[in-house]
Amino acid sequence: MVFAMQQTYDVIIIGAGPAGTSFARVAAHGGLDVLVIDKRKELGSPVRCGEGIGAHWEGKIKLPLHGGAIAYKIDGAKCFAPNGKTLKTQTPETKGYVLERKIFDKYLAIEAARAGAHILPKTIATELVKENGKPAGVKARTFDDEVLEFRAPLVVSAEGMEAKIAREAGFADAVAGLYDTDTCFEYEMANVECEPLIEIWFSNLYAKRGYVWVFPKAKDVANVGVGIGGDLNEHPKERLDKFIKAHPERFKNAEVVEVKAGNIWVGPPLKELVKDNFMVIGTAAHQVDPIHGGGMALAIEAGVIAAETALKAARAKDFSKRALGEYETRWRAAEEGKLAKRLRLRKVLELFTDEDFNRVFELLDEKDLERVLNGDFKPVVSKVLLKRPSLLKVLKALI
Amino acid sequence: MAVDITKSKCVYCGGCVAACPVLALTLFETRVVCDEAKCISCGTCVRACPMQAIKLKNKK
Ligand SMILES: Cc1cc2nc3c(=O)[nH]c(=O)nc-3n(C[C@H](O)[C@H](O)[C@H](O)COP(=O)(O)OP(=O)(O)OC[C@H]3O[C@@H](n4cnc5c(N)ncnc54)[C@H](O)[C@@H]3O)c2cc1C
Ligand code: SF4
Ligand code: SF4
Repeated sequence: MVFAMQQTYDVIIIGAGPAGTSFARVAAHGGLDVLVIDKRKELGSPVRCGEGIGAHWEGKIKLPLHGGAIAYKIDGAKCFAPNGKTLKTQTPETKGYVLERKIFDKYLAIEAARAGAHILPKTIATELVKENGKPAGVKARTFDDEVLEFRAPLVVSAEGMEAKIAREAGFADAVAGLYDTDTCFEYEMANVECEPLIEIWFSNLYAKRGYVWVFPKAKDVANVGVGIGGDLNEHPKERLDKFIKAHPERFKNAEVVEVKAGNIWVGPPLKELVKDNFMVIGTAAHQVDPIHGGGMALAIEAGVIAAETALKAARAKDFSKRALGEYETRWRAAEEGKLAKRLRLRKVLELFTDEDFNRVFELLDEKDLERVLNGDFKPVVSKVLLKRPSLLKVLKALI
Repeated sequence: MAVDITKSKCVYCGGCVAACPVLALTLFETRVVCDEAKCISCGTCVRACPMQAIKLKNKK
């Protein structure tokens, strides 16, 4: 939107990340008058992401990836035990891309604008506006430092981790408790040799309750990062630097071309996703994979489902919690079971000592790793327990 | 009560904002601002910050 700032819409979306712009694209395409505001002057920047996305999502999110947004095509994943033993898997789920988020996020915004959505960058939502106790819009400060009030019968929080307006709207569990948050630090580095594989390094020394990742963006460029349990009071940058120093062969010529940091939710999704006149989507709704902290694809999927529900609600002129609840039901049916399984797996991995990781890697083959990734824990746990009954204590939660 | 943010360390990731239980912090693109009237000096943001950029004001 350039001129003639209109102040009433069918829906106002806070946040132009993957969740918000995907919602906007579908809602505008369906005929709604849509406004997306984002406080960033440059959408997608600063990047706080490893930028990995599975190829299987391409069909699911109903949007082919823009060529320019793809940095590198990935053929599979390689997991490293603390002692260096590796397991490789090349399932459809582990094939994918490492993206250039700055291009990807802007591309999603452009697609939303093409569908008819209004986009307002460098504009921060500062306050939820209520009418008769129910959400009716937001107060926002624009880049002209103007304070405006935008009104709509539906407000959508796609705010990512901060989720301030969502919390103001009563979604108290949208706060990022430190136990369920991974705190992350990442370098994008040139001159790091890579295969087209996502690398996941398990280690309590470098990444307690998380992992070190190497996500290649070219054959000699990679996002090298670490995420660790947020309540540990350890410093992710120190851990990552230590990891890099411990692998001098790999990183001897590495040059840092970008520094990225951020926190990501790795716990369960919000207890409620909608209230009267309000929806929460994406990472603001804690829709994140608790194993790898991936949230882009889930954010897009939630945005699409929520927008489809909003279109129905608009036709019926009913934005009550009950009417918007269809989004919550559909999203939970699609994703919650799988995410709950992965959260259980996370809780078990959190208990693993380095010794446990080494032993388990010794016993598993690539097929087993695929089973674990698919949530089929039973045969793998039985196999491990047969050889290492002492691991029962940590593994019993998976049976 | 309030916190001090070392601007030179901050990468504007918003991790502190997400963790603050009383919504005292706001990230204005590249600037974190603490609402002194709301802050309860709980230290959660200090632990959440991946860059060690925050300190409680009274505990320098
Ligand atoms: C270090 C790290 C690595 C990660 N790696 C991966 C990965 O490899 N793959 C993956 O899929 N995911 C990864 N994630 C997670 C992924 O980045 C998020 O899940 C994803 O960006 C969520 O999209 P979203 O649209 O919900 O929110 P975001 O992308 O966070 O977008 C939210 C937007 O809302 C805006 N906003 C917030 N509050 C306001 C307000 N009050 N007013 C105006 N605008 C506002 C913000 O400026 C932002 O642009 C990683 C996260 C971190 C921290
Ligand atoms: S000390 Fe606690 S209340 Fe104050 S800004 Fe930090 S997290 Fe918020
Ligand atoms: S968590 Fe730290 S680095 Fe991130 S915005 Fe807050 S002060 Fe800055």
